[in-house]
Amino acid sequence: MASAFRPSAARILASKPASAIRFLPQTRVAAFHVSQRSQILPPGPQIVIGTVNDPVPIPTSNAAHGSYHWAFERLIALGMVPLTIAPFVAGTANPALDAALGTALVLHSHIGFDACVTDYFPKRQYPKTRTFMIWLLRGATITAAVGLFSFQTNDVGLTEGIKKMWKA
Amino acid sequence: MLSTKVISRTLLRTARPKATSLNTSFFTPRRLVATESVPASSASSILASQRLNRPVSPHLTIYQPQLTWYLSSLNRVTGVTVAGLFYLFTIGYVFSKPFGVNMSAANISRKWGELSTPIKLAVKAPLAAVFSFHCWNGVRHLVWDTGRELSVRGVYRTGYGVLGLTAVSTIGLLLV
Repeated sequence: MASAFRPSAARILASKPASAIRFLPQTRVAAFHVSQRSQILPPGPQIVIGTVNDPVPIPTSNAAHGSYHWAFERLIALGMVPLTIAPFVAGTANPALDAALGTALVLHSHIGFDACVTDYFPKRQYPKTRTFMIWLLRGATITAAVGLFSFQTNDVGLTEGIKKMWKA
Repeated sequence: MLSTKVISRTLLRTARPKATSLNTSFFTPRRLVATESVPASSASSILASQRLNRPVSPHLTIYQPQLTWYLSSLNRVTGVTVAGLFYLFTIGYVFSKPFGVNMSAANISRKWGELSTPIKLAVKAPLAAVFSFHCWNGVRHLVWDTGRELSVRGVYRTGYGVLGLTAVSTIGLLLV
């Protein structure tokens, strides 16, 4: 940039000192961004911890949040394949199958929602909202489990209920 | 642009004629700048407030719609939809009784059955599609978890498979 510009400017200055100076372009700083601002949400709170030269902290490894959690997740998901099909294939309402499907469904839903909270409410930016969402989810899961238990014991049960509503 | 300014300033300074009739204030525009001393400790808060003025990087809309990430996001959307409905019903079941709402399977299915077929179809078709997709894509994920089909080709092959199976089972569920 400098080497490309310098010769021509120097030439102009050398030939016409006074007038050339007068017509040198006015320096204007262009806007940093020219594209349209497009955002889903306004930027969250900007948290600055330390400096750019600090090493990234390595979180302490915990199998309960790592491999065990992953394996547990898969175990439920894997179990849900036969559990989803069996009660409807069996035809008759089976309380044990219903209970197993209901339990798996609650756990699978909870894990799924929990992953959403982890993804959309980062601890670094929204520590309070994150804690609130985690507890809100826990409360919702327990209430859902209570409601399901009540539906299983006092009503027709999960499989029969779905069948009834779907065919109505 | 900034470098242009710097260069032109430098050139002006060096190439300025020794004796000139021109007003020198023309060459050296003065700008009054107010300075303010701030403690070093406020650096991070200034940076944080400055960051809020930054443009947001282009996202979602700049990416080519591809089966890979479309199905991935669909998996979450459909999962949250099914689980959300499940939670809504079960949580509603707990709180309906005190409010005098009858949420028993018998009552709901009777009320629901009274609706016209087009309305029922308009609700059931997307519901069946959402549920089917999440089920089949869940199986696809379990296949990946065993280390199989983990290639661009595999992702597309299983992706189209899931879409096909979803279409079939959606129609199947509606015919039940």
